[in-house]
Amino acid sequence: MEMVFIAAAIIIGMGALATGIGFGILGGKLLEATARQPEMANQLQVKTFIMAGLLDAVPMIGVGIAMYLIFVVAG
Amino acid sequence: MKFRQSRITHVPLARWLIIEFTGLFIISLLWSLHSVLAGYSAFIGGLIFIVPNAWFVNRVYRDQGARNAHLMVGNLFRAETTKIALTAIFFAAVFTLMEPVYVPALLFTFAVMVLAGGALRWLIRPQPRR
Repeated sequence: MEMVFIAAAIIIGMGALATGIGFGILGGKLLEATARQPEMANQLQVKTFIMAGLLDAVPMIGVGIAMYLIFVVAG
Repeated sequence: MKFRQSRITHVPLARWLIIEFTGLFIISLLWSLHSVLAGYSAFIGGLIFIVPNAWFVNRVYRDQGARNAHLMVGNLFRAETTKIALTAIFFAAVFTLMEPVYVPALLFTFAVMVLAGGALRWLIRPQPRR
């Protein structure tokens, strides 16, 4: 039973780590590019928004599976 | 002195929501051929994606423009954190409060909506306009 909780923790933790790294790089690049070309800010925001949607797809599914493991498999 | 007129990005949230709900109804109908339980489980799985994602879009586009770049990034991080937290809370609520749930339909529809949502934002992009 404990292994299920460990598995869920690994899924959520790794997902959070990867999303954090990805969003850190994405936000840093957005600030960098906006500082270089301020007139492109809105277009860069659109591109960042699209990339954010693609970036968090897999961790979101991971959260769903982890909640299933915690509340259904172990519960 | 000539000033550049600022552009405001129009976010097609209503169009996205209409397309997402249409897709969700179709997927739910297909699952309801299996059973009614699977149908409404699929619908709830789609709602778990749509509601936090609408919040995410609303928060991300609260501030725009180069002068607000730091606010844009801050909003992005806060919106993403809230989105993941809301998703986890909704999943926990569904698995604990709703007793008969067909889990394959729920998770499958959620995964399909997540992937389709990313593709939808790629296909129908927010347009900067004057």
